[in-house]
Amino acid sequence: MAVFADLNVPASPDRKSLQKLLEAAAHLGYSTVAINHVIDFKEKKQEIVKPVSPSELFPSLPIVQGKSKPIKIVTRLTLVVSDPSHCNVLRSTSTNIRLYDIIAVFPKTEKLFHAIDRGIYFEVLYTPAIRDSTMRRYTISNALSLMQICKGKNIILSSAAERPLELRGPYDVTNLGLLFGLSESDAKAAVSTNCRAVLLHGETRRTAFGVVYTKKPPRPDEEEGVLPVRKKAKTEA
Amino acid sequence: MGERRAGAGPAPQRVVLRSPSREFPEAGVRLSAAHFKQLVVSALRELHGEVGAALSVDVLTYEEKTLSAILRISSSGLVKLWSALTLLGSYQNKKCAFRVIQVKLYLSISPCIIWEQ
Repeated sequence: MAVFADLNVPASPDRKSLQKLLEAAAHLGYSTVAINHVIDFKEKKQEIVKPVSPSELFPSLPIVQGKSKPIKIVTRLTLVVSDPSHCNVLRSTSTNIRLYDIIAVFPKTEKLFHAIDRGIYFEVLYTPAIRDSTMRRYTISNALSLMQICKGKNIILSSAAERPLELRGPYDVTNLGLLFGLSESDAKAAVSTNCRAVLLHGETRRTAFGVVYTKKPPRPDEEEGVLPVRKKAKTEA
Repeated sequence: MGERRAGAGPAPQRVVLRSPSREFPEAGVRLSAAHFKQLVVSALRELHGEVGAALSVDVLTYEEKTLSAILRISSSGLVKLWSALTLLGSYQNKKCAFRVIQVKLYLSISPCIIWEQ
């Protein structure tokens, strides 16, 4: 049974509505949900707040339908950037950034797109298509052009549902992927495999900053005579 | 010696969508079967235009109490119908959501002629 995830649930100060959303997501079969905090730099100075820890928000997490485990909640930060200088925050030593599991960038201008590559996934939201008919057209046309450019790889589909009624089940969202021009396997991956890859990528960002490996230098033949001498020295000591 | 020959024509495939819990936030919304069919067709028209509305959708069963139904459509129209139901946000200014529970594929049985010598 594949693991489905919905990686964009807007964080709201209202705890009850968030709880209802999580229950609806668990009922529909999502194993993982990411609560999204949006920071917009255009408005006057916004600090990157510490994410509310899920365990203290919800003492009892609802169980996912079809599995016996409770739903898993991760935290996500979205930075709305319209200027390359805003990206400097990502490099800063702000300790709060490290507390988030997933970091997303919402570019407002085209020149920021060139900064996006290297194992990064693109997200397509489907909730605007439910709310409004003009947004529906934009969503579908943008999704189609995105599919053309990246050939269906590295895409995730998620909702930005503010109400439980705006959530759709994982197989419904897979079908929407078909509508957006993905192939069948790509559409299912967009809701399951790629989401898991995003979570793992977030983990590697936080833990592994580089790889160090040691390599034994190749020993030339003339030094072989030295070995037994060394061995002797060890036993004597 | 036995010989089997199938009947005429390729077998068209039918797909059955079981979509229960068409949820309305306010309780007490009543929908008759005809209304429901009209809702499905209007959802198709909203997303796929006249071509979508022209797809032949059959409502096989409909329960008014739970607002759940079993729909039947040809396999070529499945993606259109399913996406139209998924993206339906409101009907007559009331917010609603379709939740599709099960999709089954049926091969319709074409007549076979079997005779033995």
